[in-house]
Amino acid sequence: MVVTDAQHRFLRAVAQCVARLLRRVRAARARERRARAAVTRTRRAPACLDALTGAALLLPGLAGAAEGDGVDVQLLHYREGERAILGLESRYDPIEADTLTTRARFTLADRLRLRLDYTQDTWSGATPVATAPAELRGNFSNDLDGISNASPYLQPGRTTYLDIATLRPLATDGYGNLTGGFDDRLVHTLSGASPETRRQADLLLTYEWDESALDVGGGTSRERDYESVFGSLGGRFDFDQKRTTLRVGGSFTRSETQARLDHDALPYLYDAVEVVRDERRDVGLHASLSRELNRGARLEANVGFGHASGYLANPYKAVQVLFIDPDAQAFAPPGTYYTVSNALRERRPRSREQGSLDLRYVQHVAATDAALHLGYRYFRDDWGIGAHTFEAEWVQPLGRSWRIAPRVRFYSQSAADFYAPYLVTRQAPFPPVVDPLRGQVYVNANSPEDGLRYFDDPTLANPDGYNPNTGDPVVDENGDPVPQSIADLLTPLTTRLDPNKLPAKYSSDHRLSGYGAISAGVTLTRELGDGVALELGYEHYTHAGALKLGGGGEKGFADFRFDLLSARLNVAFGASGRVFATPSAAEDEAHAQHEGHAAERHAHAGAPAGVMFDHLLSTQGEVMVGYRYTFARRAGGMRQGSRALSAASAKAEGCAGAPCLILPEAMDMHMHMLELMWAPTDWLTLMVMPQLTDMSMRLRGVATDAELIALPHELNGLYQHHISHEHETGGFGDTSVAALVRLFDGERHHLHAGLGVSAPTGEENVQLRDTHAIDAGATHYGMQLGSGTWDFEPSLTYTGRAERFTWGAQWNATVRLRDHNAAGYGLGDATQLSAWGAYDVTHWLTGSLRVVYGWQGSIRGAYRGTFYAFGPHDEPRNHGGQLWDLGIGLSAALPGTAFKAHRVRLEWLQPIAEDLNGTQLDRKGELALSWSLSF
Amino acid sequence: MSAVRLRGVLAALAAITCTSCASVEPWERGTLARPEMAVDPSPLQSEARAHVYESREGASGAATSDGGGCGCY
Repeated sequence: MVVTDAQHRFLRAVAQCVARLLRRVRAARARERRARAAVTRTRRAPACLDALTGAALLLPGLAGAAEGDGVDVQLLHYREGERAILGLESRYDPIEADTLTTRARFTLADRLRLRLDYTQDTWSGATPVATAPAELRGNFSNDLDGISNASPYLQPGRTTYLDIATLRPLATDGYGNLTGGFDDRLVHTLSGASPETRRQADLLLTYEWDESALDVGGGTSRERDYESVFGSLGGRFDFDQKRTTLRVGGSFTRSETQARLDHDALPYLYDAVEVVRDERRDVGLHASLSRELNRGARLEANVGFGHASGYLANPYKAVQVLFIDPDAQAFAPPGTYYTVSNALRERRPRSREQGSLDLRYVQHVAATDAALHLGYRYFRDDWGIGAHTFEAEWVQPLGRSWRIAPRVRFYSQSAADFYAPYLVTRQAPFPPVVDPLRGQVYVNANSPEDGLRYFDDPTLANPDGYNPNTGDPVVDENGDPVPQSIADLLTPLTTRLDPNKLPAKYSSDHRLSGYGAISAGVTLTRELGDGVALELGYEHYTHAGALKLGGGGEKGFADFRFDLLSARLNVAFGASGRVFATPSAAEDEAHAQHEGHAAERHAHAGAPAGVMFDHLLSTQGEVMVGYRYTFARRAGGMRQGSRALSAASAKAEGCAGAPCLILPEAMDMHMHMLELMWAPTDWLTLMVMPQLTDMSMRLRGVATDAELIALPHELNGLYQHHISHEHETGGFGDTSVAALVRLFDGERHHLHAGLGVSAPTGEENVQLRDTHAIDAGATHYGMQLGSGTWDFEPSLTYTGRAERFTWGAQWNATVRLRDHNAAGYGLGDATQLSAWGAYDVTHWLTGSLRVVYGWQGSIRGAYRGTFYAFGPHDEPRNHGGQLWDLGIGLSAALPGTAFKAHRVRLEWLQPIAEDLNGTQLDRKGELALSWSLSF
Repeated sequence: MSAVRLRGVLAALAAITCTSCASVEPWERGTLARPEMAVDPSPLQSEARAHVYESREGASGAATSDGGGCGCY
């Protein structure tokens, strides 16, 4: 065997450490004998073990041990503060976003590793669309209560006066009378957004050699209006016995925008298009060099280059333009310009080159045994943005299992060259078309596209019709007189604005303005047990123009704040510990023969994935973490009671006497639940189950033309909104807390009761975004994230086992502790009976069959606030009913491997029969997937 | 940043690097192997924060193009 230099050094380190440890043990024993006091270990021994750990990093295959196999689940909540809109209260809630990230890392083969990531985020709330001078009075309240109402405020044709010398807006009394002085205040135009969900899945394959690695990755991100596909390739090269590491990589992304513009904004945008369809491509290259400077310091430098091309604008952002119409200056008091407003969609360059330099320095601080992290980043692009980021973090271990890390971050950027809060242009928004010989050109207002042109001719000898605008006789293109019936319809022909008089590119997105941001946060990490860690994070962020380095930042109207809260659970597969270590063959045999404990483990192995509260933990102090995913789909035709209903019957009978205008077509629900269980004693298990839910619903219009004509204009718009968009909601759902109590635990039979409470942490009054200048009100009942009430959740579970058979039955119920929630309605109580049987097909795989009967009451009460009912799904009585389902499940575990404490279960619930309350959409089924790990 | 300032930063960096280039022996790397001494001790949280910064700041990822969505809101 050839011993390399690295291995020689490692063996020498081992030998030295062992010798040092032996010397210390001998010395300790001598001291013990002398003092007859217990000395457990010397204080410096861990340092020696650290040295061994470090030296072991040199060995092939162990370098990534610190980032070993495992699973991470992270929840992130983002919440913005209120935007300042001239002291008015916006009736939109600020933007909120909930993000779920799961990451799993596996070793597929000796040197091949796989990382799988899944991320979904759901956001909703108000966001700035454009910016305007306060003098436009677009964002002033129409209501006495001071609440800014109609949306959005891009109305064209608003007038204001600008100072001729400076183009600064002049103050008026709101009725066109100058009051003296300037009014430089700016204000955002806010627009609400219905909830939207984005999903991203990606994977990374890594192949490791002794001193290098290759990464190949790819993935896709999908949201309603934006889809992207990406791939990456990277390499790692270790030098100088891994003291220096070079990483290089590249990535490519192709994205497609398909953005349907806001109904409300369309009439107010000069260059409106209903749907923006375009694409972009991004290429990124990066290289980083990491170097161990000494035994307590590390430095990393990273350079990156990015090139983006295609549609780089934000389809939802507009720019207010003040038009100085040369022909309208008769309205302007002396020394002023008279302007009329309009709004254009923003125009950004179709390419962007970006470069960045990152420096990170980590220094061990011996005094407190902490790590100080310092970071600096310089960014520059060809849009004119230059940015500096400074970061500092102090990572302080506290004892063996805690770590606290406070941090601060400062960011400052200069504005993009084409950023302007609003534009001023010296032209008319709709310049008149003038014939050089015959003057203003007119067209028939009822048929402007018919190609016929008309003119005034004051010299006409035998006039017929007269232009009502000018009083002159009207002629057609041949000079013949036209009748008065046509002359009355004439309107001046205008053309479009001259783009050459505008900047080539423009955006008033304040993210492209000059500003600074300061944020401070803390991360708290707790090792819970063998290879399990919980991490909590908080950050408060303040964006302000005044914080820009060197001054000159944007004014205070664009300032905002946000808070970030995060929680992450990490479970390491490869960590050393009693649960994760591969047991020896003898241990395996002992385990197999150990009837009691094994039977207990297997007893709940048979409970199908869809059964909640199905088992207690068997020993005091045991902890279990689990993840449960449920997908439910309703689609197909409509049903009433137990019979299928035609669309015509559903339309006639589904909406409390009135004909329905809309019928539901499909509804999907995804739920991600985290299960945390702990047994304080062997007869009691406590559970906490936070969850993230998202739903989407597709509707179709069934209104006749006559019904649509009878509908008020605003509701007509809302109707169109319903049938042209798939509605989405998402965010944190209700959180269940339960205690499971062991009632009987025999050789074959087992009985336990559950007493649970569901806390109303989910939103019960999610609103649709405003549309057609009306408050669209609450979304559909079935799309709300929580019940809005505290609910009592009792359950009783029996399980049994004989040889390879397991069976069980469960009763559970949900009792609402209040009739109505704050929004005015109350979900119906529910109960469910389940019975199942399962058979161990092999020692690691179990198959199950389950019969489920469920009952749920209809919704009590109704929304108190604004709510427009269009279809059967909007009627409280059309909810709940009796259901019979058949469940087919599989459960897998891998005893005798490193994954022996893990269990994966899967179940499909197929609807068999139902007796639904009222008229409802048919059910397609439900998929339950659960993974659990006890330790 | 001007070229002069950039050169200054690079010079300072080089100085730090060189003065600190004491050779780290394998058995002296215990401290460096600790989780808090990793360049990024909480990578998943950092990625999530970076995603928020990218959707709220003008200086986007530059070298990384690995999804993240539109960030249009």
